[in-house]
Amino acid sequence: MRDSGRIVRVALYAALIVYGIIAFIPFLWMLVNSFQSEGDTFRLPPSFVPTLIVDGTPFSNYVTVWNERNFLRYFINSTFVATMASIGQLFTCSLAGYAFGRLEFPGRRLIFVAILGTMFVPVEVTIIPEFLLMRGLGWLDTYLPLIVPSFLVGTLGTLLMTETFRSMPKELEEAAIVDGAGLFRIYYSVMLPNAKPALAALFVIAFITNWDELLRPVLYITDPDLRTLPQGLMTFVSQYEASWKLLMTGAVISTLPLILVYLSAQRHIVQNFMGSGIKG
Amino acid sequence: MESRRVTNYAYLFLIPALVGLLVFRLGPIAAAFGISFTNWNVIGVPEWVGFGNYLTMLQSGEFWFILQNTTVYALMYVPGVTVVGMGLAVLLNTGIRAAPFFRGLYFLPYITSTVAVTLTWRWIFSTRFGLLNNFLKWLGFTDPPAWLADPNWALIALATVSVWREAGFFMLLFLAGLQGIDPTLREAARVDGATRWQVFRYVTLPLLAPTTFFVIIIALVRSSQTFEVTFALTEGGPNQASTTLAFFIYQNAFIHFDMGYASALAYLLCILVGLATLVNFRLRRRWSYA
Repeated sequence: MRDSGRIVRVALYAALIVYGIIAFIPFLWMLVNSFQSEGDTFRLPPSFVPTLIVDGTPFSNYVTVWNERNFLRYFINSTFVATMASIGQLFTCSLAGYAFGRLEFPGRRLIFVAILGTMFVPVEVTIIPEFLLMRGLGWLDTYLPLIVPSFLVGTLGTLLMTETFRSMPKELEEAAIVDGAGLFRIYYSVMLPNAKPALAALFVIAFITNWDELLRPVLYITDPDLRTLPQGLMTFVSQYEASWKLLMTGAVISTLPLILVYLSAQRHIVQNFMGSGIKG
Repeated sequence: MESRRVTNYAYLFLIPALVGLLVFRLGPIAAAFGISFTNWNVIGVPEWVGFGNYLTMLQSGEFWFILQNTTVYALMYVPGVTVVGMGLAVLLNTGIRAAPFFRGLYFLPYITSTVAVTLTWRWIFSTRFGLLNNFLKWLGFTDPPAWLADPNWALIALATVSVWREAGFFMLLFLAGLQGIDPTLREAARVDGATRWQVFRYVTLPLLAPTTFFVIIIALVRSSQTFEVTFALTEGGPNQASTTLAFFIYQNAFIHFDMGYASALAYLLCILVGLATLVNFRLRRRWSYA
């Protein structure tokens, strides 16, 4: 009995480690190749030795990508767009969540169902009219079409904030009402401070989602100076297909900030993903 | 507080969300429906063609080919993420101490830049210098396929990358479901002499059915919306071999600028996803107690 238990444990760890390797190998491959010279990336059989570190010029690929390939600019663009869109999510979703979670008013159910229901309509349906709208507004080649739609539409965020506010104890706002506070002051100075973990999780999830967005930049941005990181990486493929070392360096630059953001809020994110289960 | 004042406040708070709902959801959904009955290249004036686009679609060989790709892709992706996600969750739910570490590791592909990891996969699949084929050669396969350049393998490669990327997300959903199952039930079955497989088959799996049902619905919707991975991995090629309906819509709308046809395709996609969800709801009665 005890022996079979040990075998099961070994098998369990073996399975976990094998899938761990599968999950991690592309990241390792990306990282190693960003520290290799052009010749080493085409070595047969492939090598996992980061030769540039051995040579003493570890960051030469990074310097090239950052300075000569405009990645500094892409990085700034992505950071700006993702930050603005995420702030918008906090604003829109927390206001809506407060209304849905704490207030009784006619039309509440209908609007809530409409917001949830349209989530299942594929983006392919809405993106064509959205493109025409952005073109009509003269917003092509500006940051606005990358920010405004995410700013105002956040189904997951609305759900998350509704649940968060609904689960707060009633006494919380009663004291404020006795003090004669209006609903806006209750929202701002009682509700929001008590929802900090949920707001932090929402910000991080929205930041990752917007940082990752590819369709909208591809449709709305043609000016090279306004490109986001994923879009910048794609131009790499067409322009320098042979230069895998630079492409992998760019990939590391686009991935690293997300890993850091994720690690900084891992617990909140995991909980909220598990609670609501929907991204976007 | 007076209820009319509350109502006024509520609608005031809802202004941004309502503007978003109308301008970026309901409005476009209605507009796309209208556009799907026109012939429009964006520059000129839309020309009313009735059901013309829908008829063109049904008579086009390319459309049926794309629809077949979409179905095959869904048949790989949905069971793929469901089985891998559930498997990982069950392994992590055994109470081992390193569970949080592995959970974080498995979730990593999902939260990082899709384009970056997909481009890395593109190189891993590369015929001559790719990691995968060199590994296969090392294992003794002398003539491994060209993957992304091979029409028979491109769609499979696409599904593989998507399953790799999203399995961790579905794992989290299953973990949440597993945590809702009382562990004493499993222990009782073990005490009664059930094997580990029997406990999984007759206790865990039935109790997990509501989660599984939810996962399949989400996975179906996701499988219909492949864009980023296709764009960065194969661009739909070779010869449309890895183009699914969602990517075909993008090609028609924003490469050929055939807005009417693309909108008709988009509505068809919407209807297909709706139907698949409906079928799933019907089937649910058969396999779920919840």
